[in-house]
Order: sequence, then C-alpha cells, then structure tokens
Amino acid sequence: MGIDDPVAARPAVEPGLRPMEGKPPVLARFTALTDRLRQSALVIPAAVLVAVLMLVINEVAYHGAQSRLGRLVEMGRARMLLLQTLQLTSEAESGERGYMMTGGKEYLLPYLEARDQVLANLHRLEQAYTRLGDGDAMRRRPRLNELVNAKLAEMDEVKRLFDSGRLEQALDLVRSGIGRELMAELRDESNSLVTHQNDRIGTGLSEFVDTLLLNRIGIIVITLLGLLMLMKFARLSRQLDRQRLERLSEVAAERDRLEVEVAHRTADLTELACHLQTAREDERAHLARELHDELGALLTSAKLEVARIKPKLQQAVPDLLPRVTHLTESLNSCIALKRRIIEDLRPSTLDSLGLHAALEILCADFKDRSGVEVRASLQPVALSPTAELTVFRLVQEALTNVAKHAGAKEVRVQLHAVDGMAEVRVVDDGRGFDSATLRGGSHGLIGMRFRVEAGRGQFELKSALGAGTMLLARIPMEHDRRCQPIQ
Amino acid sequence: MSHSAAPISAEISGVLACFLVEDSAVIRENLVAALEEMAPVRVVGFADNQTSAIAWLAGRQPCQLVIIDIFLKSGTGLEVLRQARILRPSCRLVVLSNYATPDMRKRCTALSADRVFDKSSELEELLAYCKELAAPG
Repeated sequence: MGIDDPVAARPAVEPGLRPMEGKPPVLARFTALTDRLRQSALVIPAAVLVAVLMLVINEVAYHGAQSRLGRLVEMGRARMLLLQTLQLTSEAESGERGYMMTGGKEYLLPYLEARDQVLANLHRLEQAYTRLGDGDAMRRRPRLNELVNAKLAEMDEVKRLFDSGRLEQALDLVRSGIGRELMAELRDESNSLVTHQNDRIGTGLSEFVDTLLLNRIGIIVITLLGLLMLMKFARLSRQLDRQRLERLSEVAAERDRLEVEVAHRTADLTELACHLQTAREDERAHLARELHDELGALLTSAKLEVARIKPKLQQAVPDLLPRVTHLTESLNSCIALKRRIIEDLRPSTLDSLGLHAALEILCADFKDRSGVEVRASLQPVALSPTAELTVFRLVQEALTNVAKHAGAKEVRVQLHAVDGMAEVRVVDDGRGFDSATLRGGSHGLIGMRFRVEAGRGQFELKSALGAGTMLLARIPMEHDRRCQPIQ
Repeated sequence: MSHSAAPISAEISGVLACFLVEDSAVIRENLVAALEEMAPVRVVGFADNQTSAIAWLAGRQPCQLVIIDIFLKSGTGLEVLRQARILRPSCRLVVLSNYATPDMRKRCTALSADRVFDKSSELEELLAYCKELAAPG
C-alpha cells in the first residue's frame, strides 16, 4: 500500500508562486521607514539642545540683570553720597554761622561732625566712581574736591578769626562773598554731577529692561521652537505607527495569499494522487479480473482435461501415471500462485460478496494466520465501491501493521454507521508507538490517511508506547466518491 | 465429512440431471464434458449470472444436482445458493469455487450447501460425489 511519492508529481516550475513579486515597493517603503527612524533619532538631541539653549539664555539674562541691577544700586548710592556731601557742607556752614552768631559751643559740634563726614564721603565717592568706571565723574571729581576743600578752608579761616577774637575780620571775610560763591559753585557742580548720574541711571535702567526683554523674547522663541519640534515628532510617530500597520497588513495579505496558494497546491496534489490511486486500483482490478477469468478458466480446464485423461491413461499406459500426477501438481502450483497474485491485487471477496462479508473473511483469515484474537463488530453501511475498497484496504493495512509491529494479543475491528458516516475503528492492545516520531515516516499510514481524506473522510491515529494503537476513519456514506479525474 | 452422499430416489434412469451455474465458458465446456464423461451426470442447463440462474431454478425443469460457482458475471453464487434451497428443497446443492477458504466453506454450509469443492484441487472429489449420488441403493 501507500501512495506513490507525491513529491515526484510536483511540477518543477511553480507558476502560481511568485516569491519576488511585490518585493521592490516593500523594500522602498522599508528604506523610507528607516530614514524616518534616523530622523526621529535626531529629535532627542535637538530637544536637548533646545533645553540647553533655554537654560543658557535664562542664566545669561539673570546674571546680566543682576550685574546691571548691582550697578544701578551703586549709582544710586553714589548719587546719595554726593547729595549728602552737599547737604553736610551746608550743615557745616549753618553750624558755623550759628556758632558765630551765638558763640554757643553746641553749634560747633554739627560743624565739626559734618566736616569730618564730608571728607569721608569724598573718599567713598571716589571709590564708588572707580568701581562704576564712570570716567566723566572721575574727571569732574577733583574739581568737586577742590571746591569742598576750599569751602572747608574758608570756613576754617572764618572760625579761626572768630575764635581769636577778630570778629570784624571774620565778618569781613564772610561779607566778601568768597564762601557764598564757593557754596554756589559747589551746588552747581553737585547738581551737574547728579544730573550726569541720573542720566547714567536712566541708561542703566533701560539696559536692564532691554535685558529682560531679550530674555523674554529668547524664552518665547525657544519655547515655540520646542513646541514645533514636539509637533513634528508627534506627526512622525503617527506616520511610523501608520506605516507599521500598513506593513503588518501587507504581511498578513502575503500570508493569506500563500495560504490560498498552499491550499490550491494541496488540492491539486490531492487530486493528482487521487487520480493515480484510482488508476492504480482500476489497473489492479482489471489485472485481477483478467487473471481470474482467463488464466483461472484455462488452468481449471487443463485440470479437468487431465482428470478426464487420467482414468484412460491408467488403463492404457499405466507407466505414464506418475507423469500425469506431476502435471497435476504443476497445475496446482500454478493455480495457487495465481490465487495469491489475484488476492494481492484485488480482494475478490469484496467484489463478489460485499464489504461486510469481505471484512469478516479478512478478520477470520487474519486470526487464523497470525494467531491474534480478532473481535469484529460490523454493521452494514451504504458506501460506494471506491469507499468500500478504501475501508477494506484500511482494515487490511491496519491488520498487516498489527501483525508486523504491534505484538498484540487482541485486535478489535469495528464498522458502524454514525451520523451519516461509516466509522471504521481498528484497536489493538499491542506495544504501540510514539505517534510524534512516526508521523510522516510510514508510507502505509500516509496512504491510509490520504485515501480517507480524498474521500472527504477523516482519519485519526492514536498511539502511545505501551498503550496500543487506535486507528479511526470516518467516511461519508451514500455518495459516489470516485475522484474527479484530472483533465 | 459429515455430509453423506445418499443416492437420490427420484433419479431418472440412473443419470443425475444437473444444473450448472458458472460464468466461464471455457470451464463450463470442460466441466460439462468431464462430468458427463466420468460420472452419471447430464447437464440439463446452465447460467452465468445470478438472475438467470434463479430464473431457471424457479422454472419447472427437473434436476437433482445444482453446481454453483461463487463468483459470477453479475450477482453472487451465495445468493443463488440461498434461493436454490428455497426453490428446490430436495436438490443437492454443491458449491464449486476457486475461493474455497475455510470461511467460505462455513458460509456455504450455513446457506445449506451440501458440499463445497475447490475448483482447482477437488475436481476428483466432485466426480466421486456425483458417482456416489447416482449409485442406486
């Protein structure tokens, strides 16, 4: 049994299968995808760059603002010092006047204090201007010092004259207007300096505001840039998702196509194998018929002839009797050989007696031949001649396997009608086998499975080491299941 | 063998009237010749398929022996055997087959065949049986 090698029947060229078709567009899409992936890989450094820029702008603006604010405070302080100097000088003057008018020593104290503080102020002012790097103020400061020192000298002179009792001379000095002029000039100079410093403060303030504005613009620009990149990234990732889905559906379509292809090919092969199987069985049946009818009849006739000759020969030429006996033996051997060949080609009982009887005879013969107990439970089933042959061959093959491999004590053969299907079951209690290792390994089993499935039936084989083997086939009843011949 | 070959009382002039069911013309020819030559048998009719065999048996022509082959052109000898027992209860029914396996012998016996002979190896036994049947007393 077993079908002829199905691989050999496969055509060398496979016109239906076009593995290269549709590959270039897929490849192009794949390249585009990787490009986008590379682009998306750039997004992260870009995002980091934006963040760093934002930090740098913010820090620069902060430090710029801080230093400008510091300078502004310094400028304010210098202006205060200048105004204070002018005020202290005035206080010293009015203190001196009060002392001269009243002679009261209490008026002298503010004068002395103011005088000391004015000098200290002038020193601090110098430091402040140096720190601020105010060249203009530095150039004008000596004149201020000069005026302050001159005023102080004038006041010292008036006081000295007054203290030494020369009141009239002191008053003359006052009246001379030198002090007043000095004071006026000092006031003018101070005011001019204050004005200059106010300008500087104004410029500093506007610079401070500019810095803040720059910072603001920078932050806005960078934030917008970040948002833009985020949007681009989101669009890119959406695109990637879409492409991945497209790719997946392409793969699925390709797989579906291949599945259909495989199904078609399998159907083709099944059809071909079915055709071969049918042709083979037909050929065997024809040969068996020919042998049985023609050769069988000839041999039987020969036997009859010999039987007729024998008594006459016995009387006429008894010496030839052993030769006749030998001829009979030869004829018997011929007949036995013919029978063996015929039975091997085609179960004659199946054609002449039907499936039920043929299976009963098969089981009984098997029991006699192998010594394995056979318990047959057979129901009549309505099957086409092809299906009957399939069932018969199935049981025959199964029993052959039992005899060859199973080492069974008992085998059960069942044929039942179940739900419009003929259910054949051959179960032995032998040593079984590992069905995973045997799968596809036995031509007999492949042949059985194929024959059953070609008749739109189901085939099942269950076995485990030490647990016997169960073979089950279900074949639809009452349909003509001859395979469609291949054109 | 448990089957005895007691002579048939209704025999006409010591010759057995025989109906032959056999589908091979060559065998038929030789078998008829051998039977008529070597045993007191006259073949009165033959058929090569189930239907015509049963039709003949249902007729009125007398016979004492029916020789049936199992495999026929159409139908089976077993069915012929079953019908023959009903139609001709007093006839001797003999199966002459190329397929005389023990199981087949059992089946034929169950269908009330008197004897079963292998077509190839038991021709002499068939002839002897016929002679016994025809022997008077």
